[in-house]
Amino acid sequence: MSLIAGVDIGNSTTEVCVGEAAADGTIHFLTSASRPTTGTKGTVANTHAIKAALNRAMSSIGRTISDISLIRLNEAAPVIGDTAMETLTETIITDSSMIGHNPSTPAGAGQAVGEILLIDNLSRGIPGTPYIVAADDSYSYEEVAAILNQSADTLDIAGVILKADEAVLVENRLRKKIPIIDEVARIDKLPDGVLAAIEVALPGQTVRMLSNPYGIATLLHLNAEETRTVTPIAKSLIGKRSAVVLKTPGGNVRENVLPAGEIYLNAENSASINLDEGAAEIMKAVADAGKIHDISGQPDTNVGNMLTRIKRGMGELDHTPDADIRITDILAVDTLAPVLISGALAGETCLEKAVGIAAMVKTQHLPMREIADKLKMELGTDVRIAGVEAVMASLGALTTPGTKLPLAILDMGGGSTDAAVISEDGRVTMTHQAGAGELVSMLIETELGLGDRHIAEQIKKYPLAKVESLFHMRMENGQMTFVDESIDPRFYGRVILLAEDGYIRIEKELPMEKIVQVRRDAKRKVFVTNAFRALKSVAPGQDLKNISNVVLVGGSAEDFEIPEMLMEEFADYRIVCGRGNIRGTEGPRNAVATGLVLSYAGERQ
Amino acid sequence: MIIKRPSIFIYVNHPDPSVLKELCAGIEEEGVFFDIKEMDYDSPDELAWNAANDSMLGSGIGMCRTHAALQMRGIEKGHNIESYLAPDKEQSRKLGANSARAIKKLAFK
Repeated sequence: MSLIAGVDIGNSTTEVCVGEAAADGTIHFLTSASRPTTGTKGTVANTHAIKAALNRAMSSIGRTISDISLIRLNEAAPVIGDTAMETLTETIITDSSMIGHNPSTPAGAGQAVGEILLIDNLSRGIPGTPYIVAADDSYSYEEVAAILNQSADTLDIAGVILKADEAVLVENRLRKKIPIIDEVARIDKLPDGVLAAIEVALPGQTVRMLSNPYGIATLLHLNAEETRTVTPIAKSLIGKRSAVVLKTPGGNVRENVLPAGEIYLNAENSASINLDEGAAEIMKAVADAGKIHDISGQPDTNVGNMLTRIKRGMGELDHTPDADIRITDILAVDTLAPVLISGALAGETCLEKAVGIAAMVKTQHLPMREIADKLKMELGTDVRIAGVEAVMASLGALTTPGTKLPLAILDMGGGSTDAAVISEDGRVTMTHQAGAGELVSMLIETELGLGDRHIAEQIKKYPLAKVESLFHMRMENGQMTFVDESIDPRFYGRVILLAEDGYIRIEKELPMEKIVQVRRDAKRKVFVTNAFRALKSVAPGQDLKNISNVVLVGGSAEDFEIPEMLMEEFADYRIVCGRGNIRGTEGPRNAVATGLVLSYAGERQ
Repeated sequence: MIIKRPSIFIYVNHPDPSVLKELCAGIEEEGVFFDIKEMDYDSPDELAWNAANDSMLGSGIGMCRTHAALQMRGIEKGHNIESYLAPDKEQSRKLGANSARAIKKLAFK
């Protein structure tokens, strides 16, 4: 009787499985565990995660690592996924000329046009000229209202811009009702004497005049040429509840198309494609290229630097002098990124076109031997490198109840999407595709403008809810849930994530529907595209119809909606597709580790 | 039929006028009505809890001298949503705004 441990090092998690091998060659599984991978996959830094996972697994059955007689590492596929984002357009405002934002409580409604007049300079106002008065927060709402009421008889005051959140307070004290915009943080940047148009939307609506180029032209008397230049301003004001547009002489807004660079495909049918043609064209080129030897980018362009950086990262892993490092696959995804407009007054952003790219870097082999030696030295246990990852994953996947050969597996991890088909006589065809969970996180992070990968990961993992009172919340599917104990007021009125160990608050004010839509789109763009790509390339005759069963394994198969998305898509091909359940207990994880332990029995027979 | 306009109740006992003024400004900016009532007991917890339960909107503020507390109907007495012993101008304004945001089902400031 000896204890055999299988260890699978992935891009994001390290999984272990421990089984007991009886004298007759049968395996009795005891325990399993998973820990986040330490360091890049395939480096000696991985040993920390391996030991942590083994410790956890063994302590759960009340034993220690020293009881293990053999550790089997998988010959990890020498591929690493990496992601990068590239914006293709940028909006630049030379000479600040707009403010568009969503203060929670602007006051009044409608549009007004006038010259900007700082409240300090009110005495210099000329009767008969319409003015937009700007007041910073050194004046209280009572003072502002008193001053405006006093000047109302002599001056034509058409609208007010405030720095403090006091629009309603001022409006309630004014005799003449005018539109008032508040919470303009950079009010000191407003140039005195410049013609401005302000608009406050009617309750429940968004601005109509200033989000329309001709509306701006009407209010500010622009000619056709000037109207063309304000189009980006109008575009970025769509959906706002209040806005200010200034007519600055010489001021200009333009949308630049950034030189994105070309991607060179060195393949059976070599090709090159420009990044700004968009994801669909890039993927078409990749598909048409046939077997790809290497992918590179035009030198000194963003995409060129990006691909070089990815290769260099891999080069640090493989120290063999003539290391052969190549990018064998890329997945490009169209996305929109909210980018800060350069020259804007109140931190406005504009949705710019961008392309997200995941690349699959391949080297001759990963230094698995070093990991094995280090582990052996530290634990004093026999460590062996055994088996090819895809074969082990297939063996593990076959322990799912209801499966039989021939079988296709789709291993959706953090860095790559791998597919393998095992025929009835045990032959395995496999492929590694770029793009998986990490690309989804990156898309969520960019499209929602979160600037924080950690919260993007959590949005990917957990369903959403909106806390509507201290005693109930509405789930993203519309269902209501009531709680006995009142919910912490910190969550009140917020969109939250329902994590296993409590709620997580989303700091950024985003509507729940928007988050759901971005999350689902990101998953669909990455996993549905990749599942088809991967399975097509391993299917007999490159035809999906020749596959009858697909078992989904890997970390991303645990996701609460990805397997369902794929099931829907595959239904058209009459493919039985579902989340794997390794050994009938583990869910979709642990397939490779389980396969490693099982293959031990096979080798002995 | 509603014969009284729905409003946030502010129950006070010897209130500090500057704090009270900012509280009210906070509520007014959010566009909600409020009513102030002088009471003869002085526990802010008690004042806030009663105000919340008496208000048709279920949101109330209790105030004794400078001590101000925000309460909502359904929450246990003493478990205030937010309270300050001696709030500054900003905090008072925020407390008022939050009492209104509680009704509007908006996240607290």
